[in-house]
Amino acid sequence: MKTFPFIYNQPKEFLNFLQPKEWADFFLGELNPRFSVTTTKAKVIDIREETADAKTFVLKPNWLWKGFLSGQHVPVTVEIAGRRVTRFYSLSSHPNDKYLQITVKRQKGGLVSNFLNQNTKKGDILEIGEASGEFVLSKELPKELLFLAGGSGITPIHSILRDLQALNYSGKATLLYFVRSVDDIILKSSIDLIEKNNQWLTVHYILSDVPKEGYTSGFLTKEILDQYVPNLKSTSVYVCGPSPMQTKALSLLEGLPVKSELFLLPGQNLTNVKKEGTVDVYLSLSHKTIQVKGERSILDELEEQGIYPQSGCRMGICHTCVCKKQAGAVTDLSNGEKSQLGEENIQICVSRAESNLELEL
Amino acid sequence: MRTISKKLNKEEIEAFGKEVDSLREEVMSKVGKEDADHIRFIYKTYRYTEVLGRGLIHFSFEPISFVAGTLLLSISKIINNMELGHNVLHGQYDWMNDPKFNSRTFEWDIVCNAHQWKFYHNYMHHTYTNVLNKDHDYGYNFTRLTEAQKWKPVHLTQPFTNMFLAMNFQWGIGAHGYRVEYLETPKKLRKKKTLKDYKAVFFKKIEVQMLKDYILFPALAGLNFPKVILGNLLANLIRNLWTYAVIFCGHFTENAESFTTEEIAGETKAQWYLRQLKGSSNLDGSNLFYTMTGHLSHQIEHHMFPDMPAKRYREVAPRLKEICAKYGQHYNTGSFVKQFGSVWKRIIAYSFPDHIANKVMGKRKKYLEPSIVLSQPSFQVSLPTEEKSVSLT
Ligand code: FES
Repeated sequence: MKTFPFIYNQPKEFLNFLQPKEWADFFLGELNPRFSVTTTKAKVIDIREETADAKTFVLKPNWLWKGFLSGQHVPVTVEIAGRRVTRFYSLSSHPNDKYLQITVKRQKGGLVSNFLNQNTKKGDILEIGEASGEFVLSKELPKELLFLAGGSGITPIHSILRDLQALNYSGKATLLYFVRSVDDIILKSSIDLIEKNNQWLTVHYILSDVPKEGYTSGFLTKEILDQYVPNLKSTSVYVCGPSPMQTKALSLLEGLPVKSELFLLPGQNLTNVKKEGTVDVYLSLSHKTIQVKGERSILDELEEQGIYPQSGCRMGICHTCVCKKQAGAVTDLSNGEKSQLGEENIQICVSRAESNLELEL
Repeated sequence: MRTISKKLNKEEIEAFGKEVDSLREEVMSKVGKEDADHIRFIYKTYRYTEVLGRGLIHFSFEPISFVAGTLLLSISKIINNMELGHNVLHGQYDWMNDPKFNSRTFEWDIVCNAHQWKFYHNYMHHTYTNVLNKDHDYGYNFTRLTEAQKWKPVHLTQPFTNMFLAMNFQWGIGAHGYRVEYLETPKKLRKKKTLKDYKAVFFKKIEVQMLKDYILFPALAGLNFPKVILGNLLANLIRNLWTYAVIFCGHFTENAESFTTEEIAGETKAQWYLRQLKGSSNLDGSNLFYTMTGHLSHQIEHHMFPDMPAKRYREVAPRLKEICAKYGQHYNTGSFVKQFGSVWKRIIAYSFPDHIANKVMGKRKKYLEPSIVLSQPSFQVSLPTEEKSVSLT
């Protein structure tokens, strides 16, 4: 169990204790802020304006970057007022490109999307993580493809289209891109170029708010689907966009193989709960008891009271906020399920307090 | 309890608490980039001083660079323990969401395990500040500092045991950790095994510390190893003496008060603030001195707002002082020499039985109404005399 000459620690524990990685990171960071042995960081080498409220950032990652598949997203961490905040963004570039590219549209009240659009300059360093996500092409390419994009939901689809091009796709693909007005079309020139060079792709821009001549207007409906993709039977569908469109699409396309990626703003997944009174949350590591309402996520409610547990995506993906619940029940906000009363690990960014809680925080 | 502060009635105490609360809120709302930059600067200084210090010790051939290296290493350890470690472990920088500065992940360069320390310090000491039998930091179980503690002949030795503690302070802190944890376990749950488990946590930390300072780094110096051992020993000693001095000045100066469990039963937040004030004492000095004490020079502010980024205490202090003056509360502060002197006066005095101790300590001054009442409008003072007769009479 113990190895000589270490009586209480394994040699490995001792090595960890010496923090070799932290030291290396520190001095590498002093040399060049992009260098690190623990964190994937990227330098912003170009910024392109897509629309009035969306920008594309071209990123040069460091040696820890492991690559990605078209359609995947990365966590992007920025520091805002001294605080690290993480959000996920789809990569809009193609895996074979020399540099990475994310396209970020400003969201109303979105902390990070606004920060990136307003404050990020060429030469800045962004902390990114590993790419992940299931919104990718299957190994065997389907004969027919339908892409439904809404707003900034075009970014992963753009990457997938580029991938299809690289793979010499020989089937048939249709892209229906729902967007508020012509001026809101993101990555338009690039999409048009792909369409021009490839027989298999047809693109339709559908304006939902500001109609314009030469463009169809409206929202996603059965009629629009029938109009552009009459032969839906054997089509594989990729949907990416805001949640109302998502829900609509899923109901219209029942029975078809649909892959969807939902873009959520933090806090959007909360069912509107109103509660009376408060419940006690006992934080067992800091020996504090605080009262929360149990209306929003535990993370939100703790932060409101000046307690900042570790967190990342705030939407249940990254597991940074996982913490052991020793007692009490919570509701999982992503599916509305109520948990057991006993000990278990919970993600406090997507859990709402249901009863008095005891958390290892 | 003898006090030199004005006795306040219930309403006054609550009003005092309200003012302190709003001061806290105001300052906390400003916390942000500036504080993040500060702690990162401190972190940088700690890393550089350690590398430079250890480098100099290793490659020194004459005494001057050896001394410089040893001093740099001591500074590094002091910064690591005080401005960085102590404050980070209080959760002052948890909001940054950076694992480097997070109280859950931080571990420091001292034989005391961070987790155990957080229990007995953050929780026990900060909640039950200066409450006899509850605050285990009060005299660290062997120093008698008030007549409320019963005198025993063994207390005669406390000047010597304290000198010994000063030199080995990190060991005192570390050993304190598991004992407090054990003593605070409900009696029913206490088993021989629990004590052993708590102790193992401490030993685990000792082992890595010892390996690092006295085996790994000396071994790297080859035949020069005795020099590295000596340098590390001295650096640890200097750090120990410094932290002892700063920490003892925090609660054991002449006018710092102690409390009993009966006194604090049913205490409100405002009363808690007041107790933190009466039980703590500050040190005056320069900004560099403040940083080197980890801002424990502002013990009073630290005890009222333990999770506020420590550098903010500098701006809080003058305003808190004003509030204290308004309510006639003694704000215990003084130079390092004066405060540390009074700590030792107290340690020596109470090593003797009460009749001698009381003579040495003398009578505590009564609260005196300040000659200028702060709440009076200032025009009464500043008006020229000729006009005064015209406009005011
Ligand atoms: S913060 Fe990412 S899972 Fe909760």
